Amino acid sequence: MGELTISALLIRFLLGGTAVAVSTLVARNLGEKAGGIFAAFPAVYLAALLTVGLDFSGDELVAHSILLSKGAIVGMGINILVAIFAGYLLPRQGWKRGLIQAMGFWLVVSMAVVMITTYT
Amino acid sequence: MYKDLLIRFILGGAAVMVSYLITVISPWKILAGIFAAFPAVMITAVLMVGIASGSKNAAKIANGSVFGMIGGVVCVATVWIVLLVSGNWTLSIVLGLLFWLGSSIIVSSFRDKLKNGRRKTFRTNLLVRHK
Repeated sequence: MGELTISALLIRFLLGGTAVAVSTLVARNLGEKAGGIFAAFPAVYLAALLTVGLDFSGDELVAHSILLSKGAIVGMGINILVAIFAGYLLPRQGWKRGLIQAMGFWLVVSMAVVMITTYT
Repeated sequence: MYKDLLIRFILGGAAVMVSYLITVISPWKILAGIFAAFPAVMITAVLMVGIASGSKNAAKIANGSVFGMIGGVVCVATVWIVLLVSGNWTLSIVLGLLFWLGSSIIVSSFRDKLKNGRRKTFRTNLLVRHK
């Protein structure tokens, strides 16, 4: 991986954006039940995982994918907390303030997890 | 509709890009994974419903998204376990997708039962009150 290039960043932006947009379009065309299931497709994670394959192969690919998955499972746990917190905040604070506070909560909890796992 | 898709595209793209950026430049490798799980779809859905029909309905979307996120946890856990056990990258993604689908169908059916159960209780309460 090593060096950071604009083209590498751009490829990831386009792949991530396309994955989310396509899964949204598929969800909308599938009908209520199947569409509801597909609306929660983990497109960002899968796009991030696939792009690891652009840089690595063999054992390195597996090791980096495990590292990404380890963080993603923590991230998804945080997301569940954020969604419950947002559901509580939005009717009380209004959707604008509620959403901003929920995102602030996501950032604070994420950084706390990073600090705890890195420096303890 | 197009505005919604555009916001999802930008948030999803930015999350994958930032996840990569963190992997390359920061010492906090776990943060890359946290960004890979960034709730781009939930945020956009709450934002769009908030604009269109107010805070109460936006809160319903946030609460409802919890059920969908369970499938995401199952998907990532499957990929992780298959990578640890077999070291086969392609197999881990295929099984991750299959387990995501299976768990999402189970969670969705459970959610429907829960909703129907609530409706029945509500109807019974109404009938009792009328009597």
